[in-house]
Amino acid sequence: MSPYVFTLLIFNLGLGTTMTFASSHWLLAWMGLEINTLAIIPLMTRQHHPRAVEATTKYFLTQATAAALILFASTSNAWLTGEWAINQMSHPLATSTIMLALALKLGLAPVHFWMPEVIQGLDLTTGLVLSTWQKLAPFALLLQVSSTVNPLILTLIGLLSTLIGGWGGLNQTQLRKILAYSSIAHLGWMVLIIQFSPPLATLSLLIYIIMTTSAFLTFKLTSSTTMNALATSWTKSPMMTSLATLILLSLAGLPPLTGFMPKWLILQELVKQDLPMLAFFAAMTALLSLYFYLRLCYTVALTSSPNTITMLTPWRLNPTQTSPLNPLTTMLTLALLPLTPAILALVIY
Amino acid sequence: MLKILIPTFMLFPTIWLVPGKWLWTATTAHSLVVASASLSWFKWCSETGWVAPNLYLALDPLSFPLAVLACWLVPLMIIASQNHVAHEPLTRQRTYISLLVSLQVFLILAFSAMDILTFYVMFEATLIPTLIIITRWGSQTERLSAGTYFMFYTLLGSLPLLVALLYLLNDTGTLSMHTLQYIQMTNPDTLGTMLWWVACLLAFLVKMPLYGVHLWLPKAHVEAPVAGSMVLAAVLLKLGGYGMMRMMVVLGPLTKEMAYPFIILALWGIIMTGSICLRQTDLKSLIAYSSVSHMGLVASGILIQTPWGFTGAIILMVAHGLASSALFCLANTSYERTHSRTMLLTRGLQMILPLMAAWWFLANLANLALPPLPNLMGELMIIVSVFNWSSWTILLTGLGTLITASYSLHLFLTTQRGPTPQHFISMDPSHTREHLLMALHLIPLLLLVLKPELMWGWCF
Repeated sequence: MSPYVFTLLIFNLGLGTTMTFASSHWLLAWMGLEINTLAIIPLMTRQHHPRAVEATTKYFLTQATAAALILFASTSNAWLTGEWAINQMSHPLATSTIMLALALKLGLAPVHFWMPEVIQGLDLTTGLVLSTWQKLAPFALLLQVSSTVNPLILTLIGLLSTLIGGWGGLNQTQLRKILAYSSIAHLGWMVLIIQFSPPLATLSLLIYIIMTTSAFLTFKLTSSTTMNALATSWTKSPMMTSLATLILLSLAGLPPLTGFMPKWLILQELVKQDLPMLAFFAAMTALLSLYFYLRLCYTVALTSSPNTITMLTPWRLNPTQTSPLNPLTTMLTLALLPLTPAILALVIY
Repeated sequence: MLKILIPTFMLFPTIWLVPGKWLWTATTAHSLVVASASLSWFKWCSETGWVAPNLYLALDPLSFPLAVLACWLVPLMIIASQNHVAHEPLTRQRTYISLLVSLQVFLILAFSAMDILTFYVMFEATLIPTLIIITRWGSQTERLSAGTYFMFYTLLGSLPLLVALLYLLNDTGTLSMHTLQYIQMTNPDTLGTMLWWVACLLAFLVKMPLYGVHLWLPKAHVEAPVAGSMVLAAVLLKLGGYGMMRMMVVLGPLTKEMAYPFIILALWGIIMTGSICLRQTDLKSLIAYSSVSHMGLVASGILIQTPWGFTGAIILMVAHGLASSALFCLANTSYERTHSRTMLLTRGLQMILPLMAAWWFLANLANLALPPLPNLMGELMIIVSVFNWSSWTILLTGLGTLITASYSLHLFLTTQRGPTPQHFISMDPSHTREHLLMALHLIPLLLLVLKPELMWGWCF
């Protein structure tokens, strides 16, 4: 791909998301989403691999459906109530349809099925963009409409996503699919809390982006896309693979690591809203996710798989690809929990 | 607090910067210094009953015996694992010691936390180092399933605890231990409050472990390397007992009825796990089940909530911590020589390692609670207070004591006495390191009975 075209696409990718951020009018927000989708499509097919093309097609179809639904719902809302502003939605039909469309865009259960398939077809960098940057624009819209959507729908979608995100990942051996299911589960937690505390949902998204970035970059460093490849990757970078254990446990949300912070705060907020049983079920679904993270941990560093002699030496060579971002995100993934009060003060109050 | 915590944190630079050949010497010496410094916690002369209190960390007579035990265990774990990880590359040896030290940090913070939520976070934080010790440094492939069992049993109990604690926090506005005892439950008879009661205790009962949710413990003990078994038996199980005692003051009048099934399970578990020990062929598994049996006694002592029950529970926790850790070290010395945990294959060791047999004898006596040892003091106090609660329990506790004596005898006779098999003739003699290790376990145990008020909690 020509660097000019690549630059143009990246620019448009940013432009689409920022347009959605900045708009208060549904048409402009929809335009931003479309620009964003159209910009990532060529980036996804950058390597003309049949799987990538297939994934791109699936992505295009789902995103186009979601965008069409958004357009339809916002137009009908305007027709019924005469209001185009995003945070002034009032008709239940329109808000429910918008919620469904945004769930489709974000990959939330029960309309999550495209997400693992699409991520599995892409390379790790594009997969990273898809599970971080591409979430931002729909999430911004979700934040604005969340107060008008039926709370039951939000709760059901949230709980179902955490459940299916955990359940679906159990049987996977492909890392990218596992990361996709982990994304579904994490977004489920955010939807669960978004009606009670939008800043908390934003904080969870931020923490999720940090954690998943370090996971993707670590897998990219060792070029592993399956659990088998992960099992032999400790020879490439022993330090990073042992840290990968902790990164995965942080994604699972175990206490001394950063991933516990959003879970803790979300459970606290749910209990504060007098929903202890919901908090209990959400916490229990996190155990399902923990199972596959734990299995990845076993593979990546806690067992050493049998290797041939020639495979044992790659760590002596300088790595061919380095990412300056990876150490930063890894540090943040592992050590942010003690800073919780400061972060809370920044984000919420 | 910081005068112990900062030297503990400085163990990490010691581990990673010291030259390779001094690694074990330097870390053992440094952690011994920290352990001796931690003894200063015993000198608690504060009017409030708290040692070195501030807003976040403090110790009281309930927690400092356990915190000192956690500090004391680290040099012992380092001494015990020297042989086990000697063949590993230097970086991995350093990583291993770092894991042990990180456990110490988390344990000190857990025992000294002033806020129940801080305690909860630190209680959970011990999971990751323990998981890595079990699954990375264990020997068999079953260690992975042991790690999974360990994680899921513990988390299944403790995630409801988190929700229950947040519920309490929402109700009262603070979870500080200063104010915890003044909390009154408003509506004690609803289903929600009962569920809340169970959620508050279940995590600790799983960690103890209570009979019925104990299956993770023998697995974890059997698969863990020696240091993992030591810290698991000596301190991590005691986190459960400690947490229960802390939560008991909040749970209030509800405990009177709700505790019945758990007391019954705990007492029944003493008999059942003791009987399992009688037929056990695996050395480490036997010691693990004997831990479950002893912790059942501790659990029943705590659940009936009398001062004597609490005192007996904490004495038994400290004494059992030292005694079971000593037994795991002894099991490891014979495992390092015979490479088998099967008791029938490690018979007749007295002829070859006579001094070791003396240590076995002493450790077994400690385990079955022979008179001059604090184990007996703890068991007696619990048995008496449980008897006072209901005289029928003497049948269970008395039989339990008898069974404990029988399997301890079984353990000693099978491993030490009898004819020595021919293939043992070329066995290594016991090292000074191992004798030092046993002495550092058993001498504190013998000395503690001379001044038991150091560990009898609130009833000073």
